[in-house]
Amino acid sequence: MTTKTSLLKVILLGDGGVGKSSIMNRYVTNKFDAHLFHTIGVEFLNKDLEVDSRQVTLQIWDTAGQERFRSLRTPFYRGSDCCLLTFSVDDHQSFLNLGNWKKEFIYYADVKEPEKFPFVVLGNKVDVTERQVSTEEARQWCQENGDYPYYETSAKDATNVAVAFEEAVRRVLAAEERTVHLIPTDTVKLHRKPRSAAACC
Amino acid sequence: MVHVYNCHPFKSQQIVQVEQEPGLVCCGGGALFVVATGGCKVEVYNLEKEGCPLFCRFATMGTVKSIQHSKIGDYLVTIEEKNNATYLRAYTNWRYQAEEKGRVGVRLLGHLLGGASVWGGVQMEIIEIPMSERPIAVSCCPVTGDLLVGCEKTVVLFTLSRQNQQNLQNQSQQSVQNSLPNSQQSCNPSQGPTSVSHPNLSILDFERSVILHLPKMSLKQVALCGGYVAVNAELEVLVLKLEAASDPAAAEEPLETSKSAAEPPQDQDDFLLIPRHQELLESKAKDCDILVTMEKTGLEDQAQYQFSYILFRRFSPEFFQGCRVEEMQIHSLQLYPLFTSNSLEDPTCVFCFFSLPTAGYLYSLKGGVELLSAYQYPEKVLQAVMSDHLLHVITKNALQCFTVRCSAVAARMEDPYIDTTMKACPPSTLEVCALRIQLFIGLRSVCVYNQRVILLSAADTETQQEPERRCLKLKENSVLTGIFLAVGIDPATTPALENLLSRPFLSRKWTISSPKETSTVGHGWNLYVVDTVHPFTLYQEMVEYSCRYVQTTPQSHSLRHLLSEAHLLLRACLLQTPEQKQSGQGDPAVSSKPGSNGAVDKNSATQANRQELEEALRQNSAQLGDCFSRASQKDCHLALPYYKMSGLTVAEVISRNRPPPEGPSSYGLGFLFYLKLHLLEETEQHLTQEEADEIIYIFSQSEPFLLVSVCASPCMINCSATRTLQILQRLEDTAGVSVPLTIIMAAMALRLGKQQDYTELMERHAEMQLVYGFIEEPRLLLHGGGGGGGGGGGGQHSQVHPTSLARQLANTQPGLLVAAMVALHENCKVQLEQADFVFKELGCENTLLVDFWEAMLMASSQDAVIQELLFRVASVYIDRLTNSINGSGAPKYKSLKGADDLITSCSHYGALYPWLTVLNPTHSTTSEHQEALHKLQSLLCGPSLSVGSIVPLLERLSGETLWGFSLHLLCATRRGQYESSIEQLLDRCPQAIIAYANHQLQDKYMTLWWQKLLPELCKRTRAAADNGILLGALKETLVVVAMETSPAEFLELIPDDGTASYFLPHLLTCSQRHLMA
Ligand SMILES: Nc1nc2c(ncn2[C@@H]2O[C@H](COP(=O)(O)OP(=O)(O)O)[C@@H](O)[C@H]2O)c(=O)[nH]1
Ligand SMILES: [Mg+2]
Repeated sequence: MTTKTSLLKVILLGDGGVGKSSIMNRYVTNKFDAHLFHTIGVEFLNKDLEVDSRQVTLQIWDTAGQERFRSLRTPFYRGSDCCLLTFSVDDHQSFLNLGNWKKEFIYYADVKEPEKFPFVVLGNKVDVTERQVSTEEARQWCQENGDYPYYETSAKDATNVAVAFEEAVRRVLAAEERTVHLIPTDTVKLHRKPRSAAACC
Repeated sequence: MVHVYNCHPFKSQQIVQVEQEPGLVCCGGGALFVVATGGCKVEVYNLEKEGCPLFCRFATMGTVKSIQHSKIGDYLVTIEEKNNATYLRAYTNWRYQAEEKGRVGVRLLGHLLGGASVWGGVQMEIIEIPMSERPIAVSCCPVTGDLLVGCEKTVVLFTLSRQNQQNLQNQSQQSVQNSLPNSQQSCNPSQGPTSVSHPNLSILDFERSVILHLPKMSLKQVALCGGYVAVNAELEVLVLKLEAASDPAAAEEPLETSKSAAEPPQDQDDFLLIPRHQELLESKAKDCDILVTMEKTGLEDQAQYQFSYILFRRFSPEFFQGCRVEEMQIHSLQLYPLFTSNSLEDPTCVFCFFSLPTAGYLYSLKGGVELLSAYQYPEKVLQAVMSDHLLHVITKNALQCFTVRCSAVAARMEDPYIDTTMKACPPSTLEVCALRIQLFIGLRSVCVYNQRVILLSAADTETQQEPERRCLKLKENSVLTGIFLAVGIDPATTPALENLLSRPFLSRKWTISSPKETSTVGHGWNLYVVDTVHPFTLYQEMVEYSCRYVQTTPQSHSLRHLLSEAHLLLRACLLQTPEQKQSGQGDPAVSSKPGSNGAVDKNSATQANRQELEEALRQNSAQLGDCFSRASQKDCHLALPYYKMSGLTVAEVISRNRPPPEGPSSYGLGFLFYLKLHLLEETEQHLTQEEADEIIYIFSQSEPFLLVSVCASPCMINCSATRTLQILQRLEDTAGVSVPLTIIMAAMALRLGKQQDYTELMERHAEMQLVYGFIEEPRLLLHGGGGGGGGGGGGQHSQVHPTSLARQLANTQPGLLVAAMVALHENCKVQLEQADFVFKELGCENTLLVDFWEAMLMASSQDAVIQELLFRVASVYIDRLTNSINGSGAPKYKSLKGADDLITSCSHYGALYPWLTVLNPTHSTTSEHQEALHKLQSLLCGPSLSVGSIVPLLERLSGETLWGFSLHLLCATRRGQYESSIEQLLDRCPQAIIAYANHQLQDKYMTLWWQKLLPELCKRTRAAADNGILLGALKETLVVVAMETSPAEFLELIPDDGTASYFLPHLLTCSQRHLMA
């Protein structure tokens, strides 16, 4: 009767201050607030959207980038359908850390086939004039690490934010299509092989 | 058997405007939570507003498989799935999610740092609860807010902890500050309308505290309530009580024992065992073969738990008919607390309900585990849910509503007087009944919030279109008829039922307020909110019904049942206090505006409501009293407590029980029982002559042999003596003479002033016979004091008064009166204080009272009473002696018993010592004086009086007179003061000394002859050598001494200055006696 909506979990990772929360806010409420609270632990927002005439509920997870919040955020990596690795183009260190974020994600999310997992890379704050990371540098990193799509965004003036999320959704749906073809039936009996839920760390 | 009454518990229905097809529904905290099918979104509707408008909407993290709301803590708990993994989550602060776009904080169990809620803005938070096993079922404790999670083989208890925001802030300040570059930062406007701190708001968390392992049970559902844990598998239910262990060693114990006893025989797996049907209650439940072990998880300093089995029920698959074996699964497991005015925190009762498709079972757990009701369903039931007053069940096509017995249990917990002659309440095992069967199409699930029932229906595709109401009408009636037949009633043979069935299905009470724009056609599902009527309204409807029964079949069992049902509804209303009502409906209300409804108004409103309820209870009790007054031997005694609770006067009860003029003039057993007990109960309330005469008439017709007892009741004091005498005369003519009957007739004659008749009647029996008559019916003599039945009801000294017959006896036959009173006392029909009071009231100075005491001393065998009486009579005698000395106003009296009578017939009065006769003067005083003196002396000579107690009283008597001296001397002697007594006696009355010494100085006091008396006499004779009395005494003494001592001793005793010739003869006898021996 009703078309089944799929719920997609997308997680934003990256150093503190690169603008993850701002990007999420821009996307969901279309607002930019220069005085956003710093994120502690983990928060999420849902957004319904239609991509290629499919009803999708996007569950966007925002995390705290600081090292001391690691134990609060990592338990929630599990079950992500897509990871948005974020850096700020005016902060070279945040770019250098992308690799670490990817590693942390793959480790805690318990991704079975990391090569096939859909990552999207965001270079935020393109509105600022003093860039420390060039577009080429970033493109190259994406190329080398698994051919990830790269978007230069600005939460402040809304550049590319929606486009990036839509791309993320497409990536996930594409990945799903592949797996659906692999598994002949989707009636997996849960009680036969109970998978342990998020384990405490 | 299930009674079916066609009542109207459902008032109206609304349709909730839900856009997407609801998958799961639950309610609590004034809200209805709807999860769209397969979706990850919860829509919250306000159940406390008309039309149930949308309140807020929020996303879940995964696909919700199960959802529940906890009243305590106002959180939601879900079991969710995402990517084939199962998660357990708690959603807190959901009320602040009014704006859907708000951010949601997420944290792990135990990780309190995090989320905007810590430092200002309130934010919805999700607590992720990691589980090592896949969660299957959850339950929130309605008392504590604790969370119970059932996995396949284990049950995990999470205790709810609340951290005050302020505390938490201080705690985590350090770490938070680092993340705040600018503490003056303003709050994000998207965080909600407020940035104000909420000091009262506490932050919830859970602590894993106990894990129970049930390796042999495959769990389907769990329930938790105030320490009770219930779990069920397909066909088994187990209830445990979890308690904090008083000593840790005890907590270990059950773990050890059950482990060792647990090993099942290996070969068991080879057989296909069909389990037997089993019901094990309380301590027996531990014999069930379900092994439970406990694992502690909490920290060391945490409370230790221990558990005990309290209920086990197993159904054998072949136990049912009419249902496929696969369908035979227990569902709707619930633990249900009932809070009453006396315990708002701790529930007065806890009930356990569970259901099979064919039958539901309700147990009471607190204060003894017991099966209250078994609900036999007429059709296969999908789900059942309890509320305070009713049980709602859904079948595929109907909502059915049954009565519950919770208030019968709770009322008894609250009021110990229930089930006595004071108060009654229908039994908790009273058969339940179905109140209503309301048709719906394609029901899927049901839940209840306060007085609202929420139904989810989803019709099969082919029956999407709702049939016309007319068809429904017919259908319902045929269903009802089917049900009647199913429970063994043929409506065609029962006119009342047929009448019922012909009533229109939709009465004025059932209104449908579904908004125009939502036609139910179009989508196959609906979410209904059905309002139930207030139980008081239901009560009124039952009363209405009962009136019809009263007119047609007043004797019917159904009438009594209906009134009992109505009674329990009232009880249920009354058990809930005004305060609880307020909090129950207001919860942390979705949109409560403070000040809009003054608390004062509410209070006075509930106060008025309470008065209304109490008045209704009185009326209902009166009707139940009427029912039981006509009931059979088995139940008729209940008329008494119900009539008492009704507050009706006797006259009112009589008029309700007057037989109809055309019918046979017979009275119900219960009514007669009520009258009997009422007349026995010594109320001060006197009936009018008409009432009293009617009662005498009633008993003369129904139970004439009770007439004596009836006439003796103080309530009956105004009855017409002439008429009564006639009736009694007729009774004597038919039933023969009996002593109490003669006495009551004499009493009536006395009332009429027929002295002659009175005397003749009283002389028909010997006094002893009359005494027995009074024992049989003490109220012939005494009124008040809790009646003749129980003898004053356990020590409370209620006042009794003499009847006019007793007054008459006091004047004409005081001996009989005294004997009767003694007999009553010895038969525990009257207490000493009460008897004293009666005699005082009878006047006659206090002589009759003293006569009574003396008679009591003769007759009684109660030690405590005797000591008291001895003291009393002794002080009376002393009074009489002092009065007679003072001379003036000495009352003239004649005791019933003289001193000699008492000495011969009463063991407490001793024979007077011989030496007293020497002291007692003859004819020197009045006879009263003499009598009193002899009685007192006799008491002092007797074995029972404790002399010490009356010494202070004796001091009032001067020792100057010889009789006074005799009393002091008696006392001193009784207290062993022989030496001083000897001296005093030698001073005052030496002629008595030898009599005294002979009587008193014996055995171990023998030595006093020579140690005290001899030296004393020697000394005194030396001073007055010519004193013949003293010399004679000396001589007598020497005779005794010579007999009792050896010659050597005797020699020693002779005084140095003694004349040898005087002592020699005695020395000689002494030596001779010694030689012979
Ligand atoms: N100029 C500019 N500033 C941004 C942009 N996105 C975020 N910021 C600012 O960067 C700071 C950190 O942003 P925040 O969203 O809290 O970063 P997060 O720690 O990654 O969540 C804030 O002061 C934002 O106002 C952007 O696109 N352009
Ligand atoms: Mg942030």
